[in-house]
Amino acid sequence: MSIDDVRDLGERLDGACWSVDPGPAPVDGTRRKGSALRLRRRIAAAASITAVAAAGVFVPLAVHGQASSEPLARPSHSAKPSQYSVTVNPPGLHSPAGLIASGTINGKGWQFTVGNRGANGTGGGQQITASGPAIGPDQIGTCPVLPAADPAYPATFNSQASPIAQAQYGAVRADVTYVTITLGNGRVLTLHPVTVSGVRLVAFAAPTGAVIAKATAYSGTGEIAAAIPFTGQDGMAVFGAWLKPGQQGLARASGLIGSGTTDGTKWSEMLYLGPWGICGIDPNGSICWAPVTSLPRRTSSFGWGGGPAIAVGSASESVVRIVVTLHGGSVIQVRPVRVGGAKFWAFGIANALAQDVNQAPWTAYDRAGHVVATGRI
Amino acid sequence: MKAQLDEEFSEFMQGRWPAMVRLAYVLTGDLGDAKDLAQSAFVRAYASWPRVRRTGNPDAYVRKIVVNENHNRFRKQQRVRERLTDSPPGDRADAMRESDERSVLIAALQRLGPKQRAVVVFRYWLGLSEAEAAVELNCSVGTIKSQASRALATLRDSPELVDWGRQ
Repeated sequence: MSIDDVRDLGERLDGACWSVDPGPAPVDGTRRKGSALRLRRRIAAAASITAVAAAGVFVPLAVHGQASSEPLARPSHSAKPSQYSVTVNPPGLHSPAGLIASGTINGKGWQFTVGNRGANGTGGGQQITASGPAIGPDQIGTCPVLPAADPAYPATFNSQASPIAQAQYGAVRADVTYVTITLGNGRVLTLHPVTVSGVRLVAFAAPTGAVIAKATAYSGTGEIAAAIPFTGQDGMAVFGAWLKPGQQGLARASGLIGSGTTDGTKWSEMLYLGPWGICGIDPNGSICWAPVTSLPRRTSSFGWGGGPAIAVGSASESVVRIVVTLHGGSVIQVRPVRVGGAKFWAFGIANALAQDVNQAPWTAYDRAGHVVATGRI
Repeated sequence: MKAQLDEEFSEFMQGRWPAMVRLAYVLTGDLGDAKDLAQSAFVRAYASWPRVRRTGNPDAYVRKIVVNENHNRFRKQQRVRERLTDSPPGDRADAMRESDERSVLIAALQRLGPKQRAVVVFRYWLGLSEAEAAVELNCSVGTIKSQASRALATLRDSPELVDWGRQ
């Protein structure tokens, strides 16, 4: 046979391809990976101090869980404290409905507003948006669900990023009368809660990379608690643990708890302990898992690094080896590493095995080979 | 705004997923690789979705990524290619004899370089003009013509297609 007629080739290709079953579109997984990619791009762009051209690149930090701050991981592109100025103002008598706060970054305006229920295709939800020249050409929109105050913490912050600014907003408990934000340049912002749809909200914006040193929540009688956030590679501050006056959080420490190559890609998980709790940085960005104030002493699996590819956990003092048996029968062995007085572990897993590791059983052994603990990833 | 963009992207991906997997399939010759390639392209499209949608032709954007990613993949494969199979490798000719029209065609396409394969697919399967293919593949019309000519010559001499034609 020979192909003299290219139309014949096209038709045969067509016939061959229609017999291919593409399966369902993996939309959720694609969006998750796309969000992670967007974050990595933003980190890379920020690190090279180049202008970020991708308009409308907004990455909810929820993609990487609860992250947080500190000089340990201060991004190289951080604006120096003397190079920026930030102001914040509560809504006035004549402010538009839904305004939570407004202010400026280096003289350019920003504002946080809560949209009407169901507006902009949010279903029955309400979206918080940050907009204005200080934020960038596009506004930053949140998920259409207002944050809820967590009874365990005086304030629960979320953050989103534009290429030039970090937008921080959160819900505060009923006993909080105001929150102060101490910036790295010494400036203190005072945030007054605004009640929208029954939720007491605060918000502020700062340049991406500007160090946010501390948030302090006050009641009518004084300080309730303070949080020192972790600043990841992306320059975003993420608030973890809240410390009551006089309470000490974790001592600062950092260490590499795992590294390797999966799917032909090198990975590593660097752990950062500090007053924010336990956070990590891996090739996909930064993430905070546990807003703890004391070191974990039990063997457990407490989270995932950069997407589903890196499992992370802690180990009790006597554990020297953890064996994970994947659902497909593969076995992974990992040795805990000491960081800041406790033991932690991490292992990477190929994407093809990602489903096999979820809820996979593990067994922890001591030096004598005795089983110390068992559990599931 | 983000929820709206997400919904828009989801609709786009749901609608175009089959076509992109099929495109990736004829480029890679392997359905598993094709799905990976297609998803990788959609991941990149999602990461830049506000910009991609503004181009007015997100389809072309994703197609271009599929082609480029396949080129990258081809380069990596030249360094190392190892695949685990359930059974020991058998006689390739036996396998070919058992293959259907689909695999015969796809096997013949795999004899082409990635660029020629892309030209054949864009010109003779997707039906793009030489000018359109040149834009999407980021090369000149002259290159499209010459690559298409060489690709067809290779396919004419392809043993897979010769065998197929005699059946």
